[in-house]
Amino acid sequence: MISPIIETIQLSYDYTLDGEKVIRALDNISLEITEGEYVCLIGPNGSGKSTLARHLNALLLPAAGDVYVDGLLTGKEENRWEIRRRVGLVFQNPDNQIVATTVEEDVAFGLENMGIDPPLIRQRVAEALELVGMSSLAQHAPHLLSGGQKQRLAIAGIIAMRPRCLVLDEPTAMLDPRGRREVLSTIRMLNRQEKVTVVHITHFMEETLDADRIIVMDRGQIAYSGTPEEVFSGEIDLGSLEMDMPAIPALASALREKGMPVPQNTLTVDQLVEYLC
Amino acid sequence: MLIEARDLSYTYMPGTPFQVDALKKVNMSIARGEFVGVIGETGSGKSTLVQHFNGLLKPTGGELLVEGKNIWEGNTNLRTLRSRVALLFQYPEHQLFEETVFKDVAFGPRNLGMSEAELEQRVRFGLASMGLDFDTYRERSPFHLSGGEKRRVAMAGIMAMRPEVVVLDEPTAGMDPAGRLKFMEQVSRLHREENLTVILVTHNMEEIARLAEKLFVFYRGELVMQGLPAEVFKSVDLIRETGLEIPVLSDLLQQLLRKGKDIRTDLFTVPEVAEEILRFSREEWK
Repeated sequence: MISPIIETIQLSYDYTLDGEKVIRALDNISLEITEGEYVCLIGPNGSGKSTLARHLNALLLPAAGDVYVDGLLTGKEENRWEIRRRVGLVFQNPDNQIVATTVEEDVAFGLENMGIDPPLIRQRVAEALELVGMSSLAQHAPHLLSGGQKQRLAIAGIIAMRPRCLVLDEPTAMLDPRGRREVLSTIRMLNRQEKVTVVHITHFMEETLDADRIIVMDRGQIAYSGTPEEVFSGEIDLGSLEMDMPAIPALASALREKGMPVPQNTLTVDQLVEYLC
Repeated sequence: MLIEARDLSYTYMPGTPFQVDALKKVNMSIARGEFVGVIGETGSGKSTLVQHFNGLLKPTGGELLVEGKNIWEGNTNLRTLRSRVALLFQYPEHQLFEETVFKDVAFGPRNLGMSEAELEQRVRFGLASMGLDFDTYRERSPFHLSGGEKRRVAMAGIMAMRPEVVVLDEPTAGMDPAGRLKFMEQVSRLHREENLTVILVTHNMEEIARLAEKLFVFYRGELVMQGLPAEVFKSVDLIRETGLEIPVLSDLLQQLLRKGKDIRTDLFTVPEVAEEILRFSREEWK
């Protein structure tokens, strides 16, 4: 039995509003994420996705319950640096994540803070930029990059620290279609080729179709967890969770309702074209 | 023509090493009551373009006409123009600043020097136009609303000015699916019922295909294509070259067409496409 890379046990967390009103952001969440898994986290704004993400590398600590990362308890202060090295977090706004004046210095920032030898830093930076497809931009000024390039730079800075797990909080929300494609294919490649565990929060249902698992959150709880085929089979009432279906599963579902026996596991254009032709 | 660009060019920091030609000889026109989409990758000139529509930027070449008049010639009052052509910036919730929703929505009309009674009418109209109940929201702090509500309050502030044209620059970025839907439903209702002219800048191809009557595609400062969404998204290769994507349902219909199916490709919603697929399947069975 493989032990999970991330485990939350009855995790709860409260925000306090105006110093009195308490809002339960996470309510008794027990969750296991296996090493190498690609998990998408969806749910309406305010459902607790970002709060959960911030517990996965000890940026937030549980009000009740425990979080283990690679067997390390986040509540223990002596574990925190190690946990943050193993789980890297990428946020929505690429402009808020850039610290240096050239691309390669930006990637080196985290490594320098870890006290790694300069020759090894150089090697890791080069490898990380190669992985995200930005080697030719090493000397460029980050603020002149496109949105997609900035997000890939943020990912490179984290990958250079060789994390076991990458947590991305709406990494494509501010990007144009090309930027979104670049970032998604980078995330997928890191998961498949480098075996990095991925937790990807998104409001774009189309982005979740090749995840291993989708977790649907609602008011601080896990409303549903399953493969994309299960979540988008049309059997689950996503509308009541203020979510929608990706276009092809929605269409497949509509066709089934009208009596056309489209298979339940139809997720992509190619699959539907094949069925219809 | 309501808004018209003639050979409109804009260069940032001309005559310096940082000179950038953001718009190159753009010719386009938007009629009253139209709902148009402006699409293009980041840096293609979309935001620069729309800032010309209400005189926030002055063309460095060519001209911008509103109702046939060059707004930079003669005696166009830019203040009046800006209340007729309103611009909702990206992340408009960052611009909320008052203690209550009422005060925030009233801010623009108050600057026009209205009486309190008129002001309340305007705030009622603004909130109602975005589907927000006056009594529920008037005394609430804008800072304690959800992200989607904040954005609708910001838009209510614009609608309270009773503009003829609204320019929306990525109005739903970062919103969840239900929030996006609610916001855009209100906008298309205003377009239908109040004959509001809407200019929508977006990266969301599914949304624009469904809502816009006409699309303008920008690439590196040039207007490279314009037309009905169905025509524009037919040019798959060109669309992809410009860094954009075609909507998933269009991709499906076009692949079916290429496989020899007798099928329409100008449909953008799930129910329409489902009907069309059922129709051709029934015909094939015959």
